[in-house]
Amino acid sequence: MKEHIVGEEISALSDGALSGAARARAEAHLADCGACRRELESLRHLKRLLAAAPRRTLPADLALNLEHRYVGARPWTAAFTRPAFWVPVGAVAAAALAFSVWSRSLSPAGDLPLEPLLAAHERYSAEALVPEPNLVASSYSDPLTLTYADAADGTTE
Amino acid sequence: MDAETFAGLIAQAGDKAYNFAYRLSGNEQDARDLVQESFARAFEHAGAYDASRPFDSWLLRILHNVFLDGMRRHWHSRTVSLDAPSPVEDTGWADLLPEDETPAHDELARRESLDLLQKALDRVPLLFKAAVVLCDIEGLSYEEIAQVADVPVGTVRSRIHQGRLLLRREYEALERRGGVAS
Repeated sequence: MKEHIVGEEISALSDGALSGAARARAEAHLADCGACRRELESLRHLKRLLAAAPRRTLPADLALNLEHRYVGARPWTAAFTRPAFWVPVGAVAAAALAFSVWSRSLSPAGDLPLEPLLAAHERYSAEALVPEPNLVASSYSDPLTLTYADAADGTTE
Repeated sequence: MDAETFAGLIAQAGDKAYNFAYRLSGNEQDARDLVQESFARAFEHAGAYDASRPFDSWLLRILHNVFLDGMRRHWHSRTVSLDAPSPVEDTGWADLLPEDETPAHDELARRESLDLLQKALDRVPLLFKAAVVLCDIEGLSYEEIAQVADVPVGTVRSRIHQGRLLLRREYEALERRGGVAS
């Protein structure tokens, strides 16, 4: 019988890493050598066993740790481009806007002209804390004053 | 290499590096340490990385070196020498394994056989173990392994074959001691 194939060549054959001439020689030998065929099958079996070993993945906490260590060194301004920064800021802004709209809807002042009331209040405060009868004869022309005038007229009748 | 790029590379190569580290060291804690140290060295020497080549191969090369350095110092007191003992002759490995793996192959036996495989791997000298893991578990070509281990392809071929013979011998010895339920 021919000389057996060198062990390394059987391994290389099982890995598909044997080149043309050497491969042809090895295959020719395998055709009539049971011992070498069994060896080849044995190594192939070992390869299958190793390939079947479950793959381990990088543990999540280690991945985070690595990212914090090497990527956490980024400039602090980059934080403003992260959702982690904008999500809470946006939430606070949205809540403030919602509260503003809601509180306005409760206020009766929403339908009333505030300016004349405030202006009248200032004038009353300046002239007298208690309205006097002479208010009737005054030259106030805004709606609030007219109300007073009407009331004064009513009492004089 | 900036931090953003590095973040992408962690995601891309992290799993492969961790699996290689786990198969080399045989346990989770050492695998974590190996991966951390490898990324630290990669970050530190980022300037030496040739971006035209795959990052994961470069990282595996670093990890391979970290592993050998660590083992040379203190990693496992029980680990055998880095020098290769002569592999024994085949003693009928093929006869000890099932002829073919049928779908009915018992899951428990499969898991036990995987446990046994890791134990056997742990007993194979480092350089040979690394070559076998890179070839049969990580699926690297001989040329890629040569780059990772920084040796000629002929050396890779020799290490893979010797490593398999040693692994087979250790697996067989453990099995004979009753490591696998039959």
